[in-house]
Amino acid sequence: MRRNTMTKTDWAAVLSGDRDAAGGRAMTPGDGDLPQRRAEADAIDRILEETAAVRSEIRQAVASVNWDALPAVIAGRALAADGRAGRGAQTRAAGWLAAFRMKPALAGLAAGLVVGAAAMYFALKAPETRPGSGGAYYASGEFLDRAELEMARRNTLDYLDKGQYMLLDVFESAGPGPVLPAAVRSARARDLLQKKKYLNAQLEGLRMVKAKAICDQIEMLFLELSQIDGELTAAELGKIRGLVEERQLLLKINLVRKELESGV
Amino acid sequence: MKKRTLLLLLLALVWGLGAGAARASAQAPTDESLFREAKLLVFDKSWQTALDKIDELIDRFPSSPLAGQALFYKGECLSGLVGRERDALRAYKSYIRLEDAKPSLVEESEGSIVDLAFDLYEGGDASALREIESRLDHPSKVVRYYAAYKLSLVSDKREAAKAAPVLSRIVETEKDPELLDRARIALMRVSPGSLRSAEDRAHRAGSTARLLRIRIRDKGREVFALAIPFALADLALNAMDEDDKAVLRRKGYDVAKIIDQLSKSKESILRIAGDDGSIIEIWIE
Repeated sequence: MRRNTMTKTDWAAVLSGDRDAAGGRAMTPGDGDLPQRRAEADAIDRILEETAAVRSEIRQAVASVNWDALPAVIAGRALAADGRAGRGAQTRAAGWLAAFRMKPALAGLAAGLVVGAAAMYFALKAPETRPGSGGAYYASGEFLDRAELEMARRNTLDYLDKGQYMLLDVFESAGPGPVLPAAVRSARARDLLQKKKYLNAQLEGLRMVKAKAICDQIEMLFLELSQIDGELTAAELGKIRGLVEERQLLLKINLVRKELESGV
Repeated sequence: MKKRTLLLLLLALVWGLGAGAARASAQAPTDESLFREAKLLVFDKSWQTALDKIDELIDRFPSSPLAGQALFYKGECLSGLVGRERDALRAYKSYIRLEDAKPSLVEESEGSIVDLAFDLYEGGDASALREIESRLDHPSKVVRYYAAYKLSLVSDKREAAKAAPVLSRIVETEKDPELLDRARIALMRVSPGSLRSAEDRAHRAGSTARLLRIRIRDKGREVFALAIPFALADLALNAMDEDDKAVLRRKGYDVAKIIDQLSKSKESILRIAGDDGSIIEIWIE
C-alpha cells in the first residue's frame, strides 16, 4: 500500500496557512487509504484550531517581554550566576537537562514556542519593514506633531475668519440691517472660546507666535460677548468698537490670515 | 474787624474743604471703573497692574456685584504671572463655587484649571494630574473632552493612556470634524489600538475603517512609514516633510490630486519617484 505522507514543503504550506497548496498534494483522498487520510486531516485541523486558540496567549506573552532589554538581562544574570556558580546550581541545571533528555517531545514543543514567539516578535516589532500587512495604525511622534501643527494652522485660519465675521456683525448691530440674535452671538462666542483652548498648545510654538497674539486679543472680546445675553447697549458697543479700532484688530487679523494661508 | 477776618477765614476754609471733597469724589474710583480698567489691562496682558486693580475692587467693594466676576479675572491675571499658578487655581475654583457664576465663565475656568494643572504636572507636581483626571467624567462635555485632550499630551504615557476611553467616545460619537481629528491624533499618540477599535465601531455598516498608508524609501532603505485612518489623509499628506512635499510638487502632484486618485483606485499604489532616488508610495487599504 502506498502511503501518501506529507513532505517538508507540505508542512510549511500547512503551517503558513496555505492549506490549499498543502492539500493539493497531501490531503486529497486517494484510492484505498481514505479513512487514514481523513483521520490525518482531522488531526491537522485540530492542531490548527489549537494553534489559533493559543495565538492570542502567545501574543500577550510576547508583548509582556521587554525584548530590547532581554539580551542585557540574560547576560547580566549569566555573569552574576558565573560568579557564584556552585554545586547546587549545577545540580539544578543538570536536573533540567535531564528533564529535556527524558522528554524530547516537551523539549521540541518548548523550542517551537521560543522560535515561534521570536518570529512573532520580529513580525510585530518591525511593522515598518512590511507596511503592506496588518491593519494597525502607526505614526511617529514627530509626524503627529507636524500633523497637529498643520491642523492648528487650518483651525487658526477658521478661528480668525469666524472672529472677523463676529466682530463685523457686532459693528453692524448699531445700524439698521439684520444681525445675529443676541443669544446666537453669545453661543457662537462660547464656541469660539472652546476652539481657542485647543489651539493654545500649538500656538505656543515659535512659528505661530504672531497668530497667538492676535488670537488672544480676540479671545478677550469673545469672553465679553459670551456674557452678554441681551442686545448690546450703545455703551457696550462703543467699548468693543473702540478697542477693535484702537488696536487695529481687523487689519491685524487680515495680515495674519495671509501669512497662515501661505503655510506656516 | 477781628470778627470779620475770622469769619472770612472760616468761609474760605469751608469752601476749600468742600471743593476738595467734590474733586475727590469725582476722581474716586468706583467698582465699575476699577473693573473696566482691569479688563482693559487684561486685554493688553498687563497682568500685574490688572491684578492690582482687581484686588483694589475686591478690597474696597466686597459686596459689589462685580466682586464675584472679578475673581475670574483674578484667575486670568495670576495665570499670566510666572509662579502664581496655584493662586490662579484657587481663584478659578472660588469663582466656580459662586452661586451667580456665569456659565460661559465657569466653562472657561474649568478649562483654565486643566491647563494650569497640566503645567504644574509637567513642572514636577505629580499630584496636579488629579485635577485633570477628575474632570474626565465631568457632566459638561466641553470640560470632559478638553481634560481628555490635555491628558493625552502628558509625558508619562501610562497616565496619558487614561484619556483613551473619552477620546474613543469622541471618535465614535462626535460630529464636529475639528474635535474628531484632534481626538484621532490624540489617540494615535496614546493608544493606536483604541483608535482602530473606535474607528471600526464608528463604521456602523460593518465594514472596517479604511487605512491610509505612506512609505518613503531612500536608496532602497525605508525612511518613513505611516498607517493612519483615511479620515486624516488630507491632514497627513499636508503634514509631510517639506522635502517630500517638494518632490510631489515637482512631479505635478498636489494633495487634492493624490486623494482624488487614491479614492478612485482603492487597490493601487501611487508610486512617485524623486530625482534624488527617493520613492514615495501612497495607498489605501
